Amino acid sequence: MNFRIHSNYDKELTKKDLMKVFWRSIPYEHSWNYERMGNVGFTFAMYPVLKKLYPNKEDLAKAMKRHLTVYNVTPYISTFPMGIAAAMEEANATQEEFNEESISDVKTALMGPLSGIGDAFYWGTLRVIATGIGCTLALKGNILGPILFLLAFNIPHYIIRYICTFLGYKLGSESIAKITASGLMESVMEAASIVGMMVVGAMTMEMTAINFVTQVGTGEEASTLQDILCGIFPGLPTLALFGVVYWMLKKKMNPLIIMLILLVFGIVGAGLGFLGL
Amino acid sequence: MIVKTILIFLIGLLGYSEWLTGTSFLQRPIVLGPLVGLVLGDMQAGIIMGATLELAMIGAISVGAYNPPDLISGTVLGVSLAIQAGAGPEAALTLGIPIATVMLAVNTGLGQPLMLLFIHKCDRDAEQGNIHAFNRDMFIAGYLQNIWGILCIPLAFYFGTEAVTKILGVIPGFVQTGMDITAALLPALGFAMLAQTMMNKKVAPFFFVGFFVVAYMGLTTTGVAIFSICLVLIMVMFGAFNKNKPVAAAEEYDGGGFDEF
Repeated sequence: MNFRIHSNYDKELTKKDLMKVFWRSIPYEHSWNYERMGNVGFTFAMYPVLKKLYPNKEDLAKAMKRHLTVYNVTPYISTFPMGIAAAMEEANATQEEFNEESISDVKTALMGPLSGIGDAFYWGTLRVIATGIGCTLALKGNILGPILFLLAFNIPHYIIRYICTFLGYKLGSESIAKITASGLMESVMEAASIVGMMVVGAMTMEMTAINFVTQVGTGEEASTLQDILCGIFPGLPTLALFGVVYWMLKKKMNPLIIMLILLVFGIVGAGLGFLGL
Repeated sequence: MIVKTILIFLIGLLGYSEWLTGTSFLQRPIVLGPLVGLVLGDMQAGIIMGATLELAMIGAISVGAYNPPDLISGTVLGVSLAIQAGAGPEAALTLGIPIATVMLAVNTGLGQPLMLLFIHKCDRDAEQGNIHAFNRDMFIAGYLQNIWGILCIPLAFYFGTEAVTKILGVIPGFVQTGMDITAALLPALGFAMLAQTMMNKKVAPFFFVGFFVVAYMGLTTTGVAIFSICLVLIMVMFGAFNKNKPVAAAEEYDGGGFDEF
């Protein structure tokens, strides 16, 4: 794979300017608010670029206001629209006939698809893998658990955040059209969601426990209900529990209510003696 | 106790700096739990309680309109009060989850309006070209949103320990066992919430592959992650994705099916 991410700085902006955008993209979600979401964070990251492109104070204020409108994107790939916006701001500053409204248009158009990919990959795949690795160790009291959790998530996170800055700038406003047309985006998302799904399945089995301790039979042939259920196929009680909870969520039941139901079920089960550890 | 309270305050502050530090998951229970444990002199317990909370709250992420409970106050207070009271991970859960839910409401209801004042100040700063004021107001806005959590954590820790110890002392044995059992049941909810955001017809079978590989063969999650990545790479090699599909078919799952929910 060859991204050739450091090229084409023939106009105003240099690699150094984009590096500033990368660093300043880190607190992007700090000022995330319900009114305009990531607007302030986005503008904060864009500031060095805008300052360089618009030496005139009024132009700068106008450009900053342009970026203070609603914006929302998965933070880990926020540098991608920032790179694109930088390329477009550069065009706006250097070309007379450039329509500055198109900057906001392109940014807005990217919000949906980018967040879709970003949320799916980061929340659904990478985080699940990191949590899986981390929790397996941490449940045994191993300090490597939290450390590996952070590393497994953040190493790919920062590499991609970095690459996205330059990729976004380089591809400019054409990028999404190109990638979508090639079908690459769907493939990547599908592959990522398959990995995520398998890991969720594995974690459900490994980390959920339900144990029906009711005694069945007497003497030599005594066994627990759990053994009988697992005799049908291993993991049946866990899968049933998962299925019931999944169904309750599907019925739009509040997760908090489900939590309470599980708590009551656990306590009643322990009280009546049909559930054990 | 004063020193501990200050350190607990700092851990809370670190948690609420999550978004200033690149949303790097410093706020997750699996990370904050061990830190609380370290401060209170029982790191081992902190790690295990953190992981237990992490599993129960694995579905708690801000996707779309869903607003997750405030994991930071839930973890710091749940774990610290449980360790102080000499209780187990199940106590951290039973204490942490209600705290997290209440703090979400408090931060949203009382913190957001304060934050918005400063977001609007940022507009004015930009207009006046005052970048220093802009940076300052952005910095303040982020912490103001969570100011109640930042203040409540050390206060509740300082004043709450004794009360929690007493309450846990009078709870009957079977309720404590029941809480233990519930701690093991709760991950099912976390995974179900997560699965809901990811599930569609195309990927549903893979959930069961992952599940039964563990059920029958006892593979660990890490093992399944490795095999699933290999599997996907093999599928790419054999052109399972998009290769021979007409353009129309590709459009059909535009948005990847993640928008379904």
